[in-house]
Amino acid sequence: MIHPKQHYLDLFGTGEPLLDTLVAESLRHGGDYCDLFFENTTYGNVVLRDGTVASGGRHIDYGVGIRVLCGEKTGYAYAESTAMPDLLESARAAAAIADGTSSFYEHSVRAEANGSRMVGRRFRGEPNPAADRYPVREHWRSAETAVFISFLQKLENAIREKDARIVKILANLAWQVTDVLMYNSLKELKYETRPMGSVSATVIFQQGGKTENKTVSRSFRTGVEMLSDALVEEMARDAVKGIDDRFDARRPKGGQMPVVMGAGASGILLHEAMGHAFEADFNRKGTSIFSEKMGQQVCARGIHIIDDGTLKGNRGALNFDDEGVPAQKTYMVEDGILTSYLHDRISARHYGVSPTGNGRRESFRYAPIPRMRATYMESGNAAPADLIASVPRGIYVDEFSNGQVQIGEGDFTFFVKSGFLIENGRLTAPVKDINIIGNGPAALRDIVAVGDDLAIDPGTWTCGKGQSVPVSCGIPTVLVKSLTVGGE
Amino acid sequence: MDNRLTAEEIALARASLDYALANGAQKVRVTLNKSLMELFGMLNGELDKVTHALDRSLQFSLFVDGRFGGFSTNRLERKEVEAFLLGAIDTVRTLEPDPARDLPAPERTAKDAGTGNELDLYDPVCETLTADTRREMAIGTAAWSRKAELEKGFTLVSEEGEYSDSVFDSVVMDSNGLFARHTETSFEIGYEVTVEDAEGNRFSSYWWDATPRLEAILPSLASCSETAIRRAAAQISPQDHPGGKCTIVVDSECASKFLTPVLNALNGYSVQQKNTFLLDKVGQRVFSEHLTVLDCPRSRGETGSRLYDSEGVATTEFPIIDKGVPTRYFINTYIAGKTGMAPTIEDATRPKVLPWGGCKTRDDVLRKVGKGIFITGFNGGNSNTTTGDFSYGIEGFAFEDGRITHPVREMLVTGNFFDLWNNLLLVADDARLCMSKLIPTLAFRNTDVNA
Repeated sequence: MIHPKQHYLDLFGTGEPLLDTLVAESLRHGGDYCDLFFENTTYGNVVLRDGTVASGGRHIDYGVGIRVLCGEKTGYAYAESTAMPDLLESARAAAAIADGTSSFYEHSVRAEANGSRMVGRRFRGEPNPAADRYPVREHWRSAETAVFISFLQKLENAIREKDARIVKILANLAWQVTDVLMYNSLKELKYETRPMGSVSATVIFQQGGKTENKTVSRSFRTGVEMLSDALVEEMARDAVKGIDDRFDARRPKGGQMPVVMGAGASGILLHEAMGHAFEADFNRKGTSIFSEKMGQQVCARGIHIIDDGTLKGNRGALNFDDEGVPAQKTYMVEDGILTSYLHDRISARHYGVSPTGNGRRESFRYAPIPRMRATYMESGNAAPADLIASVPRGIYVDEFSNGQVQIGEGDFTFFVKSGFLIENGRLTAPVKDINIIGNGPAALRDIVAVGDDLAIDPGTWTCGKGQSVPVSCGIPTVLVKSLTVGGE
Repeated sequence: MDNRLTAEEIALARASLDYALANGAQKVRVTLNKSLMELFGMLNGELDKVTHALDRSLQFSLFVDGRFGGFSTNRLERKEVEAFLLGAIDTVRTLEPDPARDLPAPERTAKDAGTGNELDLYDPVCETLTADTRREMAIGTAAWSRKAELEKGFTLVSEEGEYSDSVFDSVVMDSNGLFARHTETSFEIGYEVTVEDAEGNRFSSYWWDATPRLEAILPSLASCSETAIRRAAAQISPQDHPGGKCTIVVDSECASKFLTPVLNALNGYSVQQKNTFLLDKVGQRVFSEHLTVLDCPRSRGETGSRLYDSEGVATTEFPIIDKGVPTRYFINTYIAGKTGMAPTIEDATRPKVLPWGGCKTRDDVLRKVGKGIFITGFNGGNSNTTTGDFSYGIEGFAFEDGRITHPVREMLVTGNFFDLWNNLLLVADDARLCMSKLIPTLAFRNTDVNA
């Protein structure tokens, strides 16, 4: 949603001359670049527990973040008020990074002398409502809470009707609307309103003295119209899908074996084990396993790995990142070759490239850093069934959770929530509660086949890297020739 | 701006409470928070970031016509707060009634938290620190200038050092007469490092420390980087390990990975939702009799101490697990109303695992155990809240004859929390005081470690 410029200036009680004053104050001590990030967020939720929607709330978060860059160094401060005295105080605090009176800043002074001041890759023009990636027909802020309550009740009924073993359902509907206005010392002014609606349901099943749970979620950058009967039915179906297998599942015998990752949510492995290592701040600092690998082949030819902010209505969609850079579809790996890191303005300057629209932040309280948006691998040309059929003994994974990666080493561990043994090319016994461990670059090299069934998972994925941002992930069915599976 | 709550800010919270009561709410709880944080960060020996962060917020629990809602705003102008409250009360009226919602009974709430500094957690030196002092502290965390001296068989690829200090001041009040305040300072240093061996393999590690008093952090200033570098370099040349059933020793730095799921399993929400492996297990000996966990929330001057929980309920010292027997679930006022169970504090505040077996430090434990896997960190994995099954990726070392022999790689520890804690062998006495969970180095026998 993109309102006229004046809407945002009025909302934050500011005007373009005042913005220029703040920029000037922020750069008073010699910073190279500064940006202002105005934010007005309203968020709310309702919770269904024990059959009633008897809990809910609404919250406001409002403030301005001011960032000053001096070389690659960052001064950051924020105010929870848009009163000019508060903004000026924050501007002075952020400006301290460029306090030329301190001998400590000799390096940055030298850098300036060498002509390495922030070079502006300018993004001219005003935001274009016709190109808005956040389709909204019904607005969250003005919606009646009764609409949310009715949706959760329908969802609970639909889930409960599908399985007699259900003993508890906990459902949550959360929404958020964020108005942002961004201005910087390159005189770029960007503004937009970002919606987000998320629904989740955790279902507890009991059978023969055993308990199992399953969580299903959906999240989109759209309006209240996402709360449709079709969504109810889709979530109810997914909430009970595979629960028979869950009760029968066992930990398999562990070891090194081929792993087939199912299409969709398995993409979280791509996000964690590879995507983070492509974020340029880790590479700029030399801590990523992919540092100094630019232009090199990192996996089989024919594989393309993308981070994409352009998927309309997707949880990872953006018109602009949080530095006012237009979002884009970024090929990180093209035909098996590492072609781009994910950049914010600092890392783009370091590498001498254009920013890729990945400078994101949790809120005005945080300075932006390179973050993913919607990360996925493009479809290959193999039939998914053929991938399974080619494995004499291995694991098929259809749901991961709790992945973790060490950026420096590239080692990752992922918990397999559900999956199957593959024996003689067929899915046999269900498995659960095991880990798959490996190394990101090695796993990439070991991808030997890619299915033709890319699916972007619609779940509520949130990436934590010191600060939380909404993302999404996807992958086609993929065969990795060898990973360590931890079992009995 | 003042770094602690002012009389005007507290008066606004009081006025907001009265306004909600006068406009349709029958009961109200208001929490007013304020925090100020200053951070100076170094990257490879040079100042890389400076952050100044001041936050204030008002949080409201509104009980309206038998209904309940939770609200918050950081727009603290009086007129804006009043307009926000009117909208909030209207929203609560649209929810379904819930008779289980209530404020805690006044006799359960804290009466001894009037000034905020009863636990001696506020160090006034924070009011006098200058930017230059903070810069010097940040510089003190860095080791880059000693790079050549430190690089022994490896190179330093990257280091990040940080110094930060913060003040947190909070008041909770309700329409039953509760007024409680908690004020604390925290001084923190952290250091992350990546090293590279001769073959180009990279290894990362970190170390950190935090205390409520500035003077207590000073001894850690230089040693923090050395500890992190030593931890990173120790991982060089990992070897495969056959795995199998073995004794594991878990470093105090990461031992909470095994206790936190047990404490979470005692949470009232999980019990009410039947989503816990400790359902119906209170009063039964389900863990080793050598496991005793005390909640110690009222230790003066110690990180994590609190006189009351988020509802204002007074904390007390009590055994959470007594010789292997969970003594109670954590039941807040709402869950008590839902289940009919007696209310307690809402969660463990500062749990402490009591030493057992006569070992003081991790080295004592390694010597006494002799042979096994020493776990110094976890990498991913998960546990099943309803069964207690777990599987975690681990980082660490093989040890024999009480001495570390080599780092291990790509290993997992797998099991069930009942089995694990029934195999508890030793509990040292080396819990890190910078943590809110005081868990020393632990040893468990007969544990599955897979390669």
